[in-house]
Amino acid sequence: MGNRKSLLTPVLIVIVGFLTVCPVIMLVFGSFSTGLGTFGQFTLEKYIQAYTDPELAGIITNTIVFVLGSSAVATGLALLLVYLNTRTDIPFKFLFRIISIIPMMIPHILFSVSWVLLLNPSNGLINLFLRQVLGLENAAVNIYSLWGMILVEGLLDLPIAYLILAPAMASFDVALEESSRVCGGSTLRTLFRVTLPVLRPAILAAFILSLVRSLASFAVPSVIGMPGRIYVLATHIYQSIATGFAADYGKAAAIGMSVLVTSITLIYLYRYLTSESEKYVTISSRGYRPTVIRLKRARYPLFGVVGILSLVLIVLPVLVLFYTSLVPYSMVPSMKAFSMMSWKHWIEVIHDPISILSLKNSVFLGVVGATLGITLSVFVAYAIVKVRSHASGILESLSFLSFSFPGIVIGVGFMWFFVRTPLYATIWALLIGYIATYLPYGVRPLTSAFIQVHSHLEESSQVCGAGAFTTMRRIVIPLLIPGIVSGWILMATMFVRELTLSVVLSRPGTEVLAVQIFRFAEDGLWGQLSALGIMMIFISTTLVILATLVGIRFKPMEESG
Amino acid sequence: MEIRIRNVSKHYHSSGQVIKALDNIDLTIPANRIFTLLGPSGCGKTTLLRCIVGLESPDSGEIEIGGETVWSRERHIYVPTEHRGLGMVFQTYAIWPHMDVFNNVAYPLQTRGLPREEIRERVAKTLRFVQLEGFEDRPATKLSGGQQQRVALARALVAEPKVILFDEPLSNLDAKLREETRKELRAFLTDLEITAVYVTHDRIEALALSDMVAVMNRGHIIETGTPRQIYFHSTHRFVVDFIGRTNLIDAVVTSPRGGLTVVDCALGEVACRRHEAFDTGDRVTLCLRPEFIRLKRGDAARAQNVFSGRIDELVFIGEAYEGEITVNGLQLFIKTEPDSDIRAGDTASFTVDPNNCILVSK
Repeated sequence: MGNRKSLLTPVLIVIVGFLTVCPVIMLVFGSFSTGLGTFGQFTLEKYIQAYTDPELAGIITNTIVFVLGSSAVATGLALLLVYLNTRTDIPFKFLFRIISIIPMMIPHILFSVSWVLLLNPSNGLINLFLRQVLGLENAAVNIYSLWGMILVEGLLDLPIAYLILAPAMASFDVALEESSRVCGGSTLRTLFRVTLPVLRPAILAAFILSLVRSLASFAVPSVIGMPGRIYVLATHIYQSIATGFAADYGKAAAIGMSVLVTSITLIYLYRYLTSESEKYVTISSRGYRPTVIRLKRARYPLFGVVGILSLVLIVLPVLVLFYTSLVPYSMVPSMKAFSMMSWKHWIEVIHDPISILSLKNSVFLGVVGATLGITLSVFVAYAIVKVRSHASGILESLSFLSFSFPGIVIGVGFMWFFVRTPLYATIWALLIGYIATYLPYGVRPLTSAFIQVHSHLEESSQVCGAGAFTTMRRIVIPLLIPGIVSGWILMATMFVRELTLSVVLSRPGTEVLAVQIFRFAEDGLWGQLSALGIMMIFISTTLVILATLVGIRFKPMEESG
Repeated sequence: MEIRIRNVSKHYHSSGQVIKALDNIDLTIPANRIFTLLGPSGCGKTTLLRCIVGLESPDSGEIEIGGETVWSRERHIYVPTEHRGLGMVFQTYAIWPHMDVFNNVAYPLQTRGLPREEIRERVAKTLRFVQLEGFEDRPATKLSGGQQQRVALARALVAEPKVILFDEPLSNLDAKLREETRKELRAFLTDLEITAVYVTHDRIEALALSDMVAVMNRGHIIETGTPRQIYFHSTHRFVVDFIGRTNLIDAVVTSPRGGLTVVDCALGEVACRRHEAFDTGDRVTLCLRPEFIRLKRGDAARAQNVFSGRIDELVFIGEAYEGEITVNGLQLFIKTEPDSDIRAGDTASFTVDPNNCILVSK
C-alpha cells in the first residue's frame, strides 16, 4: 500500500508536468526560433520583429485600458450585487444566484455576438430602432469601440468576481460592523470605513482574477474589437498566425511570452491575496444572522437595477439570437419581420457538413475530454489532500499553473509541440490542450470533496470490519460522487464552448462549435450563427441542469448537522 | 477481554525532531471494566488507542487482545483493523453522511455478511438499547449532536464486540449535554459485559466514568488506579496537579509524630498522613487541595494543622466562593461554601485533615 502511494505522486507530477510545463517550454523555444520548421535554432529575430512593430504601443495601450476597464466594471457590479444580496432586504434574492451561474450556460462568443446584433452601427437592432424612433442620421451607439468591449467583457467577468466576493461577504463577522455602529458610525460610514476595507483582499482578488480573464479573453476582442480595428494582445497574436500570407508562429510566441508572464504574475498575486483574505475575514463560530440593512425607499429602485441587469445578462442574448435565427436579415421586430420568419437558417445549418462536424467534435470533446480530465483530477486531488508530502505540494502548484494560461498563448505553445507529433491536426491535440488548460477546474471541486471525507469516516469503516476495497466502495466513492459529477459538468460545459485554444489548434476536420460560430461571425452569416448558437446553448444548458439535478439528489444526505 | 500492551513505543519525526508519542508503554487493561487513559493533549493517549485498534502501528513492542497477539514487531504479527473485531466511537463520531441511521448502524453486520433478517433484528435491538428506536430511516446527519453520538455508540456496539474504544467522544457536546451523555454512557456500559477503553483530557469525565484511570504524560503512563486512588493517594506531582486544583508547597520532612509524617514548610509545621516512602530530611512537595481547606472566620487558637491568615480575595461563583488566603507570606488557593460569611480582607483561619495532606516527591 505504502509503495503504491509513494509512486502515485511522482507519476502524477510527470503527467501534470507534461500537460502544463510542456506548452510553456515549447512557447519559450518557439519564441527564439524563426518558424515552426526551424525549431531549436536560437535567434532573437522574432522578439526584435515583434517588439519593434510600431503598432505594438497602441495595442498595448488598448489592452491595458480594456483589461483594467472591464475588470473594474466586473468587480464594481459584483460588489454591488453581493452586498445587496447578502446584506440588504432587497426582494427576489433568487435572481442573484441565477445571475451568477448564467454565463456558464451562454458561451462568451454568443454573448458577444448578441451584443453586436443589438448595437452594431449599421444594422444593430437597438440602433435601427433608435434611428426609426428618433429619426437619427447615424447610429446612436457604436459597439465596435473600446467602450463596447469593456462593457461586454465586464458583464462576462461579473460572475467570476461574484463567486469570489459572495463567500467573503457571507463569512464577514458582523460584530466588526456592529462595533462601528456602537461607536457612532452611520451605515454609510461603516460601509466605507469598516466593511469595504476588511473585504479589501477579497475585492482585490476578484479584480485580479478579472484582469487575468480579460487578458486571456478572445471572444470579445475578436467579435467586437476586430471589426472596429481595435486590437488587443490576444487578437494581435491571432492576427499573426491566422491572417496574412504566412502564419508567423515565432512572432506569436514572442508576444505570447509577455502575456503569459503577466498572467502568471497576476495569478500568483491572486493566490497570495486569497491566502491573505482567509486570514483577514474571520468566520465567527457562533451561529449568527448578519444584520439586514433596510433599504427603505431605495428597495425597489435598486431591485430595478438588478432586474435590468439580469434581463441584459440572461434574457436579451438568447432572445436576440433566437430572433436573428428566424428572420432573413437584420430588421427591427415588426409585423413584417414576424411574417417573414422561417426555419431557413436552421435548415441550412443542419445541412452544412462543417457545422454538423463541429457539433459532433464539440460533444465528443465535452464528454470524453471531461471524463478523462476528471479521472486525472480525482488522482491529483487524492495525492494533494490525502497523500500529503513535499511532492504533493509541487503537484498542487503544477496543477494550479494552468489557471493562469491565456488560451490563445498556450495554444501557440502547444502548436509548436503538436506539429512535431502525429497528433497534429487531430481531435486528440484539442483534447490534450483542453485538459491541460482547464485542469484546475476539475481539481478544485475534487480537492474540496476529498477534504470533506474526514479520515475518521474511513477509519471507522475499517474498525467496523470493512477492508480497503469495501471502504472505498461504500464510503469514499459515494461521498466523492457529488464532487466528481459537478467537476465533470463544469469541465464538459467549458469544453463544449471552448474558443480561445481551439482557434489556434483547430484545423480542417477538427472544427469545433465556438470556432465555427467565430467563422460565421467573420463572414457575417448572423442567421446561421444564431441557429448554431442556440443549439450550443441548448447543449450547455442541458449539462448545467443535469448538474443541478444531481446536486439536489445528493444534497439531503450531504449536509452535516 | 483483557488487553496487554508490552514495551510499545511509537516515535514521530517532525521537522528534524523526534517526538516520542509512546515511550515503552507497559499496560494491562482489565477485562469488562471501563478503563480511561487521561492526560493533556499530546500525551500519547490517542496514539495508544489507535495502536490498540490497529489504525496506527507501533515502532516496537507487542499488543495482545484477549490472549491473541494482534501486533508484534519481533514476531511480524499484524492483524489489520478490520479483523480485530473491536468497536470504536470517534471524536467526530464519523457518522457516514450519505447513509441513514439504519445503514450506519447495520454496516458492521453487513461487512460480516450476516443474513438480512438478522441484521434488521440486531439493529433494532441496538437502537432500542441506545434509545433511538424508530430513527432507522432518518438521514444520520440530520440528528442532534447527542443523537449522533448515540448512533456512533450503536454502531460500535451492534456487532457485540468484546472491546469498545472511545476517543474523546463527548468533547463535541456542550457542557450540559456532555454531563447527561456521560451518565447515559456509564449506564450503558455497566449493563454490558464489555471492556471499554476511554480516552479523554477531562478529569471530571475520567473520574466520573471509569473503574480504572491511567494518567499519561509525554508518552509515559505515570500512574494507574481507581478514581479514588488517583485522587487521594497519588504519589506523583504531575498526577496530583492534573487531577484537580492543588496548592503545591515546598516542604521538608521532620521527625514523625503519633503515626503521622510531619513536614515543615512556609505555613509552619503540617501533620500529614503516614507516607512510608519519605524519611526525615527529605525534600518533598505538600499538596493541599482547596476543597479540603476548611475555613473559619476570625483567629483560632494554635493547634495541629490550624493556620491563620488574611483573605486577599473571595469571588462568588454561584456554587461556591473561590479566592486566595495569605498565610505567612504564602498565598493559597481556597474554596468555601456559597453561604459563607467570610469576605475579602477578613482574618480567617483554616484546618486541614492530615489524611488529606498529600506528599509527593519534589
